[in-house]
Amino acid sequence: MKNLNLIFVAAVSTLGLVACVDNTLSEDPPPPEGTSPGTAGAGTDNTFDHENDGISPWELVDRLTKEGPPRYTSHVHSCSKVRYANLGNVLKSVGINTTNTMQLSAGQLYTSGFNAMGGPNYDNRIRESISVSTSGASRMFDIFAAGATEVMTAVPTLQRCMSGGTPAVLFDANGQCQKSGITCIIGTPATDAHVSLCNLSVTSASTPEIGKRLAVAAILAAAYTCE
Amino acid sequence: MKNLAAILFAATSVVACVGSAGDGTTGGDDGGSGSDTGSGSGMTNDQWDQLLGQRVVDYNAALRTAAIRLTGDLPTMDEINSISTLTDVAAQKTAYETLLTAYLARPTFAKQMMGFWQDTFKMGGGTMNEMDTAPAFAAMLSVNDGSYMDLFTAQTGNCPTFDGTTFTAGTCAGSVQAGVLANPGAMKQFFSNFAFRRVRWVQETFDCAKFPIEVGAAQDVHGAAPYNGVWPFESISDDQVGRVNFRDVSAVVCANCHQTINHIAPLFAYFDDQGAMQTAISVPTPLDGAPKAELTDYLPATETTAWRYQKPATTIPALGAAMAADPAVAKCGVARIWNWALGKMDIVDTLTDVPQETIQAQQDAFTSSGFKLKQLIFAVYSSDDFVKF
Repeated sequence: MKNLNLIFVAAVSTLGLVACVDNTLSEDPPPPEGTSPGTAGAGTDNTFDHENDGISPWELVDRLTKEGPPRYTSHVHSCSKVRYANLGNVLKSVGINTTNTMQLSAGQLYTSGFNAMGGPNYDNRIRESISVSTSGASRMFDIFAAGATEVMTAVPTLQRCMSGGTPAVLFDANGQCQKSGITCIIGTPATDAHVSLCNLSVTSASTPEIGKRLAVAAILAAAYTCE
Repeated sequence: MKNLAAILFAATSVVACVGSAGDGTTGGDDGGSGSDTGSGSGMTNDQWDQLLGQRVVDYNAALRTAAIRLTGDLPTMDEINSISTLTDVAAQKTAYETLLTAYLARPTFAKQMMGFWQDTFKMGGGTMNEMDTAPAFAAMLSVNDGSYMDLFTAQTGNCPTFDGTTFTAGTCAGSVQAGVLANPGAMKQFFSNFAFRRVRWVQETFDCAKFPIEVGAAQDVHGAAPYNGVWPFESISDDQVGRVNFRDVSAVVCANCHQTINHIAPLFAYFDDQGAMQTAISVPTPLDGAPKAELTDYLPATETTAWRYQKPATTIPALGAAMAADPAVAKCGVARIWNWALGKMDIVDTLTDVPQETIQAQQDAFTSSGFKLKQLIFAVYSSDDFVKF
């Protein structure tokens, strides 16, 4: 909470300058030419201009308004994106060849999507971004769409998805979605709602094959929006 | 909540002050309870509590998240079924915690911890080299259930290497050892004028807060704003003592931050741009010609280096010992593990604060265990909050 205290101090100081400049601060000396109050910019006889900004109190208030106070948010899971390395593992785990270099294959989209998906840049002291961004989510959805056929082919053979020697099934002989296959690719027990939505995607498409691909891509996209 | 109410007050004070001739009656301190509203959303604290109460235990969802974060991969069908086929929550809890223990013992956990600490330290990630030894040390402590405080106090074995599955012991080069505090890779990564970037790295990584960090009563120093520090204003140099006026108050009160920074930075100033410790100060200044810094640039001759006010530390190992004894550092460690588990962004970069009461139980257990990292991770991943959705 001490950080919030400091934000408060900064906010009050800054806003005070704006709101009450005609009375409270009228006796203080003006800042040197070329500088502005509240910044670490320096005059010619001083040191150097350096970063001195923190989180905008306005942005913080906006976030707190939308998400709730820390006493609430700190208790609940956030929707962080799947980290880049973890996504690679997940893709392999659902049967996608991440070493595929063919243009616009799922593997190629993954390996070329490091920056789009917010990978870390440690040379510049930047950690991996785990926020869900438009570019990152778009690239991930593209990967799932491109890899849907691979997934459908692989699921029955995936050792990870065997249960007592029985393979998972994504679509039965009639093209109906199956819980075991959905469970396999999302990593948590599939519900009736998953199956219904999957079947709806299949039947609503122009052809069953396109519908299956759309269903798999949509299920994956929904499941991995958040880690 | 007192702080949040204060921020909301700040955000509305422009209107209040201008519109009402600054009568100062709007949104003042309510005594600290903040009990009426939660963050300006229109919801009361009781309503936020009700939302928390509406969460339900879901070990299936917890398993998926735990598997991805702790092993980097999805759970197997057998693992999923070992929980989903149980109807009794107590039995699910037992099954979940059994899997959790197994995950923490897998080689993939080491790789995950390496990634977590690279992100936390903001360094490493290439071919295993000096830039990875600090994250590797922290990851090794996590995997081996070592003490978190070894990050600040370890004299040997603090520069291991990691090949993706196995840690190989190693001690950092140099005559001064204090966990990762004198790590050559870290010193190289955060090289800067006056060694201030190294100080900021230590502060933000291990105390989870930006400068200014030591805040006291406002003192009038005849500047643009009051001095809010706890050190005497004259305890850092001005341009009469050194070559830089850290007591400047004309645009911003530099001392609010530099009271602390300047008492730490000289300790890190002896590492050169390659992270090697030298016998003389080896960091430049932003002055014309970029001359090397001098001790008097930071502090008057009567001052000594320190972690905090009245917490002197004349060497880096002493600094590490002071940090290890600081409850705020322990709390920061718990908060970082907590935020990682619950999918939060960086606690400092995004001010994703964790109130003390949220993690009190985990912090108490962490302290009583001797700051054992693996036990902390298990405690967080098996906490009520982690398994509720």
